Amino acid sequence: MAASASDIRSALSIPSQSQNPAQTPVQSKKLQAQSSRKPDGISRELYSLIGPSAPSLAAQLAKPKLKQKPNLGSRSVVKWEWRSFTNGARKDKLQLGHWTKAATDVNTDYPFAKYGVQSTPYIYTDEEYTQYLQDSEWTKEETDFLFNVVREFDTRWYVIYDRYDFQGGPARSMEDLKDRYYSACRKLIRNRPWSGDEASKSSLLASFHFDKEREITRKKYVTSLENRTPDQVAEEEALYIEVKRLEQSERKFKKDREDLLRVLSGVESGLPDVLEDESPFNNLPTIDTKKKRKGLSSGFLPTDVDSPTSASNVIALDPPIVRKPRDPKSIAYDAQHCIIRTDLPPNVQATKAAHHPAFMRSFKLPYPKAALAPRINQIFAELGINNTRLVMPTRDNCARLEGLMESISALVESKKVLDKLEYDIQVAKKRLGMRNSEDREGGSGGGKGKGVGIGSAMDVDEGDVDADADADAEEESVRDGRAQSIVSTKSARSRRPTRRSMSISSVDTNATASARASNKRKFRN
Amino acid sequence: MVNYGGDEVSALVVDIGSSSVRVGYAGDDTPKAVIPSSYGYFNNPPGGDVSMENGNSGEPKSAYSQIFIGQNGPSTWRAGMEIGNPLQDGLIHDFDSARSLVEHALGDVMRVNASEHPILVTEPPWNTPANRERMAEIMFEEMKAPAFYIANTGVLNAFAAGKGSALVIDIGQSMASVTPVVDGFVLRKGLATSSIPRLVHSHAHHFLSNPTQTRHAIDLYPHQLIANRLPVDPGAPPRFTLREDRLAGVTQSWKAWYEAREVDEWIQSVGGVLEQGWNDQVAASRPPRQYEFPTGYNNYFGHDRFAVCEQYFFQKPHFVQSNATAPKTIPSLILEAFRTCDPELRQVLMGNVVLTGGSSLLNGFSERLASELSRSFSHVKIHAPGNPTERRYGGWLGGSILASLGTFHQLWISREEWQEHGTAIVGQRCK
Repeated sequence: MAASASDIRSALSIPSQSQNPAQTPVQSKKLQAQSSRKPDGISRELYSLIGPSAPSLAAQLAKPKLKQKPNLGSRSVVKWEWRSFTNGARKDKLQLGHWTKAATDVNTDYPFAKYGVQSTPYIYTDEEYTQYLQDSEWTKEETDFLFNVVREFDTRWYVIYDRYDFQGGPARSMEDLKDRYYSACRKLIRNRPWSGDEASKSSLLASFHFDKEREITRKKYVTSLENRTPDQVAEEEALYIEVKRLEQSERKFKKDREDLLRVLSGVESGLPDVLEDESPFNNLPTIDTKKKRKGLSSGFLPTDVDSPTSASNVIALDPPIVRKPRDPKSIAYDAQHCIIRTDLPPNVQATKAAHHPAFMRSFKLPYPKAALAPRINQIFAELGINNTRLVMPTRDNCARLEGLMESISALVESKKVLDKLEYDIQVAKKRLGMRNSEDREGGSGGGKGKGVGIGSAMDVDEGDVDADADADAEEESVRDGRAQSIVSTKSARSRRPTRRSMSISSVDTNATASARASNKRKFRN
Repeated sequence: MVNYGGDEVSALVVDIGSSSVRVGYAGDDTPKAVIPSSYGYFNNPPGGDVSMENGNSGEPKSAYSQIFIGQNGPSTWRAGMEIGNPLQDGLIHDFDSARSLVEHALGDVMRVNASEHPILVTEPPWNTPANRERMAEIMFEEMKAPAFYIANTGVLNAFAAGKGSALVIDIGQSMASVTPVVDGFVLRKGLATSSIPRLVHSHAHHFLSNPTQTRHAIDLYPHQLIANRLPVDPGAPPRFTLREDRLAGVTQSWKAWYEAREVDEWIQSVGGVLEQGWNDQVAASRPPRQYEFPTGYNNYFGHDRFAVCEQYFFQKPHFVQSNATAPKTIPSLILEAFRTCDPELRQVLMGNVVLTGGSSLLNGFSERLASELSRSFSHVKIHAPGNPTERRYGGWLGGSILASLGTFHQLWISREEWQEHGTAIVGQRCK
C-alpha cells in the first residue's frame, strides 16, 4: 500500500515524504488512516490507486441497493371473530354464524339482506274482480291460482308454465297464462285511481302489453325454423354465402371502376381524385393552381389556359369557358414547335371527366380486334413491323400504322368471307356433281383426292380454286410464305409447307398484300 | 366478503348418490368425506345372543343387528355379511340406513356435530315430496340440525358449471337423466330419466361372465377371496387358488356386490365410446386395452370395449322391440326433454349443455355427445368439466357453491320454521 501511495505521489508530483524520515511514521499512519476511510462504492484496490482525490463519480458508484423489502410486520394483525348474526331478510330468528372482522360494528344489518328483493305483485279484491276481471274462460279460483303462481315464481313464465297445474281446469298454453295475467293487470291499472301523471301510467300499461296472436305466430315461426331439414339449412347457408359473395364482388367492381376512373382522368392529369368531385369548393383552388403551374411550366401561352382563377375565388363555381379564336400568330407558333392541339368537341362541357390528360401518342396506337388479333399480329410479324411499339411514333407514322392495321383487318375479314363463299361453292358443286354422271365426277375427284387425303379434315377451299391460283402463280412464289401463314392462322389445321393452291387465292388479297409490301418498304426507309 | 357474494356459515353439504355419499363443508371445492353408499350388515347375528342384545339395546330403530359402513364396510369380507344400498333408482327407499350413512360420514369421517351446522341435502330431480319431507324430518328431528335445505341435483350441477339455465345431462351409476334448468328451476315437464347405466352394466357383466369364441368365461372373484395367484400370459387361463375358508361365508348379495364392482372397474378402465358414431372398422382399428382381473386373468379388449358402451347411444332395433321397457338411450332422452320444452328455450338450452356424472367419464363420451347433438341441432355448446372430481361430484360442488352464498342464507328452513309449519314448509321453500 505504501508503494502504491508513493506511486500516486510521484504521479501527482507531490514531494516524497520518505525524504523526511522523522515524520514518516506519523505521516504514513495518517495516510493509512485516510486511505482506510474510503467512500462506499469504490473497490479497495481502486481507492488505493487513485487515493483520496476520488472523482465526483464516487457518489454515483454507491453500492446498488436491493429492492426494499415489503414491510409486512408493522401492520397490525386484523382480528377476526366468529359471530352469530340474524338475516334481516328472514322472518324468523335463525342464528347463523360466520367469521367477521372484529372491528366491524356488531349491530350492522346483514349485508346480503338487501338482495332479497320481492317483486310487488298485483292483488285484486273480490269487488274488483267482479267489476273488471270477469272472463268467460277463467274462473275466479283459477285466476287466483294463476296470480299466486306468478308471484311465487316472480313472472318466470317458463317455470310458471311448467308448474301450473290447476286442478279441474282446462289445459293452458303459456300464451293463455300470459294473456290472462297481463290483461288482468292492464285492467286493474286502467281502472284504479292513478296518483302519478298520464305518461307514467301509459308507460306502465305498455310494459304490461301482450299480444297473444302475435306471440303464437312468432312461436310458430321459431318452430318452423327449427324443423328445417339439414338440406334446407345447408341451402340457406349456401344462398347466404352466395349473397355475401355477390355483394363483395359488387363492391370490388365498384372500387375497380373508381380506381380506373381516377387513373384515366385523375392522377395522370394532376387532378385530385375523381371521388372528391362532389365537393367542388374544396377542389377548385387546388385544381386551378395546378393547372396554372402546369400551363406555365410546359410553356403554354397564358392565353391558352382557361381563364385563370385567383386563389381567393374559392367559392366560385367553374368559370364559363371562353374560347378565344386562335390568332394566326399562335398557329404559326404551333406549326413551328410541332404543337398539335386537340380541342374538345364544342358540345362537351369542359369538365374534368371530359378532360383529356396529356398522353404519349404511342400509348394510343390502335389495337387489332380481339377476334382477329392473332392473325393480324402474324401478318405484322411477317411484314417485320412491330405493331405494338413504333420506334418513332410521330403523328404521321401513327396514322399510317392505323391505316395499315385497318387494311390488314379488312384483308383478313375479306379472306374469311371468301373462304366461306368458296366453301359454299364447293358444297354446291358437290351437290351438282352428285347429280351428274359418275364418270365426269371421277376425273376431278382423283385430282382432288390428294389434297383431301393429306389434310383429312381440311376444308374444300384449296383444290377448286386452282384456276385462280395458277393465274397469279408468279406473285405467289414471292409471297408464298406469308400467304400461307394467313391460311394457317385462319384455323388450327395441319400445316402444309408448300401447297401452292392453298395460298392466297384471290386477286383482291394479293393486291392488298402488295400494298402492304410497299407500305412496309416505306416504313423501313 | 361482499365482493364475491360469498359468506360462509360453515354449512354442511350432503349429497347421497347410488355409488357414494359425499359430505363436506360448503365453500370447499371437494367433499371432505366420500363413502360408498353400499353397506354391509348382518341379518341374523352370527355370534348368538350377545350381539343380538347389543343390536337391540344400541340401535332400536335399525333392523340390522350390525351395520358396516364406510371404506371398511362392504369391501371387507365377513362371514355371512349381506350388502345393502339405501337407494333405488336414485331415490332413497331405506331412510334408516341412509341416516346411518350420513351419520357415519359426519360423525366418524368429518367428526362434526350435525346440530351445530346448517345442512344442505341434495335430491334427484325426480324425487317425491314425501321423500324430501322425510329427509327434512330426519335432519331436524334426529340429527338436530339448526337449518336445512334440500336442493335439486339438476340445478346444483348447473350452478357448478356457473350457469343459471342449462340442459343438465347427468349420468350416474344407476340412473341417467336429462334435466332442463331455467333460472335455477327445474322444468319438471321436460325431465327425462332412464336406467341406461344399469343396462350397460348388465351387458358388460353378461359379456365378461360368458365365454366367447376366443376365450372362456371370466371369473369375477374379488381379491378378498383369492389366496394367491400366478402371472399368466394374456388370454391364458388364470392360475389362482381361492380362499376356500371364506367361500362358504359369501352371501348372495355380497357376491352380487363384488361382481358388480369388478364389472364397474372393467368398464371404467377399458370402456370407451367412438366419437363419431358406431363404425366397425373404426372400432377394430382402435388399439386394444389390456385389463387384468383379480384372478390374474388378463387380456386385450378391443372391439368389445366399445360395443358394450355403445348401448348408451344406440340400441339394436330388435332389442328395443322385444323389450318394451328397455331404458332409453341418451339421445332419445334429450329428444324427449326437448319435445316438452318451449321452442324458444331450445336454443338457450342447446348453448348450455352440462355433462356430469361419473359414468360420463367414459373415454370419448363428451365428444360423442357433441357429434350426436350437432347432427340435429346447430350451435351446441357442451360444458363437460375435464377434472374427474368435478364431473363426479358436480351436484355436491353446486351445493357447496350455493350454501356458501350470502344471499342464500335467507332460504334456509330454520328449526323454528319447521316447528311452526311442519312438513309443508319444505315444499314451499324448496321449489
